[in-house]
Amino acid sequence: MEEFLRRLPHTGQTDIRLFAAAVSASNNGVVITDHTQPDEPIIYCNKAFETMTGYTNKEIIGHNCRFLQDGDAGQEARHILREAIGKGEHCSVEIRNYKKGGRLFWNELTISPVKDQDGMVTNFIGIQNDITRRKEAEEALIVERDNLEERVLERTEDLKESEAYLASIIETVRESLVVLDRDMQVLSVNEHFCRFFKSVEKDIKGKVLFEHNNGQWNLPELKNLLINVLPNNNPFEGFEIENEFPKIGRKLLVLNARQVILKGKYQDRILLAIEDITERREIEQRKEDFISIASHEMKTPLTSIKGNLQLLQRKAQQNNDTQYLSGFETAVKSVARLERLIYDLLDVSKIQAGRVAFSFTTFQLDRLINEAVSGIQATTNTHTIKVTGSANIEVTADFGRLEQVLLNLLSNAVKYSPDGKDVTLHMSILPDYVKISITDKGVGIHERDHKRIFERFYRTDQISEKFPGVGIGLYVSNEIIKEHKGTLWVDSKEGEGAIFSFTIPINH
Amino acid sequence: MGKILVCDDEQEILDITQLILEDSGHDVTAIINSNEVVSHIENQQPDILLIDLWMPGLSGDQVITQLRTNINIINLPIIVISASKDGRAVAFAAGADDFLEKPYDMDALLIMVAKHLETHRQI
Repeated sequence: MEEFLRRLPHTGQTDIRLFAAAVSASNNGVVITDHTQPDEPIIYCNKAFETMTGYTNKEIIGHNCRFLQDGDAGQEARHILREAIGKGEHCSVEIRNYKKGGRLFWNELTISPVKDQDGMVTNFIGIQNDITRRKEAEEALIVERDNLEERVLERTEDLKESEAYLASIIETVRESLVVLDRDMQVLSVNEHFCRFFKSVEKDIKGKVLFEHNNGQWNLPELKNLLINVLPNNNPFEGFEIENEFPKIGRKLLVLNARQVILKGKYQDRILLAIEDITERREIEQRKEDFISIASHEMKTPLTSIKGNLQLLQRKAQQNNDTQYLSGFETAVKSVARLERLIYDLLDVSKIQAGRVAFSFTTFQLDRLINEAVSGIQATTNTHTIKVTGSANIEVTADFGRLEQVLLNLLSNAVKYSPDGKDVTLHMSILPDYVKISITDKGVGIHERDHKRIFERFYRTDQISEKFPGVGIGLYVSNEIIKEHKGTLWVDSKEGEGAIFSFTIPINH
Repeated sequence: MGKILVCDDEQEILDITQLILEDSGHDVTAIINSNEVVSHIENQQPDILLIDLWMPGLSGDQVITQLRTNINIINLPIIVISASKDGRAVAFAAGADDFLEKPYDMDALLIMVAKHLETHRQI
């Protein structure tokens, strides 16, 4: 290169040398080619070009610039260059070039023709600038932008999906939903709300709930509850209102309300859910009515039958009418069985409807035991019921219901031990509880049935073959003992008798 | 033996209750309309009242409440005979002396009536 500078003509004008020095020191790569020779050989390159390409001066001089292409010849920029050179014109391109060793770099290349006095092109000057980093940044930016767009699209799609998902839930639920703001203005209602209250969303949206539709929601208690939801984060549940609604008549509604939480933050929004329980309550009421009517209707003829039978039986005894006595005895027993069956069925209905009324009084446990035992003893002359242990304590319980449990367990003990003679009732005091156990020497219960016998209408296979019954007694007894905060259970092995025990709390 | 007033809205219950009590030597009047009970008691002054709870017109507990505020008949023994177990609490709350559940046992009825007649006589 120094050689080249030295060979420049000394014209006395030092500016050319200065220019040459400037070119040599430039940070841009500079090459000069000889256009008059075949294949446009490079006749000059500066230091920056060597640095940029990694080639040394002697590997460069004499070559066509094409050596930087390293086989990557199909580029558009290459055609532009060839055309400009062919026409002897100026041009600027960004072209992929390769350093010595093959590493790609982006070259911002400007070529300018140099012409002689006749206008003929003698040389081309090429100015090169390594723009790899800029190019990479640009590309990264493009990729980033594409990714971003893709992500935004994905998120939008996700949001749309989850919105549609939520909307479909909200519109499908068979419950009316209302969203209110802090001023009790309706922000939105779901379809069920519109259908149920026979209103149009646009008529209620934006209205203050209490003013909507002639103030049908203007109920002081509800107002008070709703107003307190936001300031104190005070949700409410199961608030019942019975109200006359203009378009749909009298309705019994259950209301839940809570502050809306979004992304873990409480919003100034209230979600009010309204469930119509008018019909359900009516059905419950009808069921309850049915139970009491059925109970009354069945017991009336039974009272008449029982009374007349007992009276006739007494007459037969008085007249010593022995030929009728056994018939009356059978009839009285059947009536007693029918009576128990009716009680049991009514009890099951009541338990299921949650309508069993318990009346707790305080009494001596021994009195209850004696009454129950003598009651059952009177019905059997095959079995002897023995009472062991003594409680001698007072309990607070429903006398009639506990008696029902005892009668049930004692009559079971007799019924299921046709070959046994003894039934034992044992009382024992435990800390806080009294335990009553009834032991028989009967058919026993397989362990797999120990839990299931307390289910409604459950009868073990072996039992239902040999003994009549419907499978309610133990279910009802268990429910009664549960209500007394005690437990009822069985210890038994098949063929070895059974011990039914229950506990109830003792008064302190 | 005593003068007994029985009130029930079911004729067959009235009949059998009357039969059973009369068979044991009691003097029995049966009334099917609960609205007539108070005036009958005022006029006839029975020794004991047996009354049902759920009846058309005045219910048994309403009748009892009226009787218990009438100074002349405040001490009349009253036994409620009802088909409803839950009637027990209602009966005692209104001021009944005893409760018998339908279908009642003949002997239980006779024993209960005798017991209250006895107690009433001692007063």
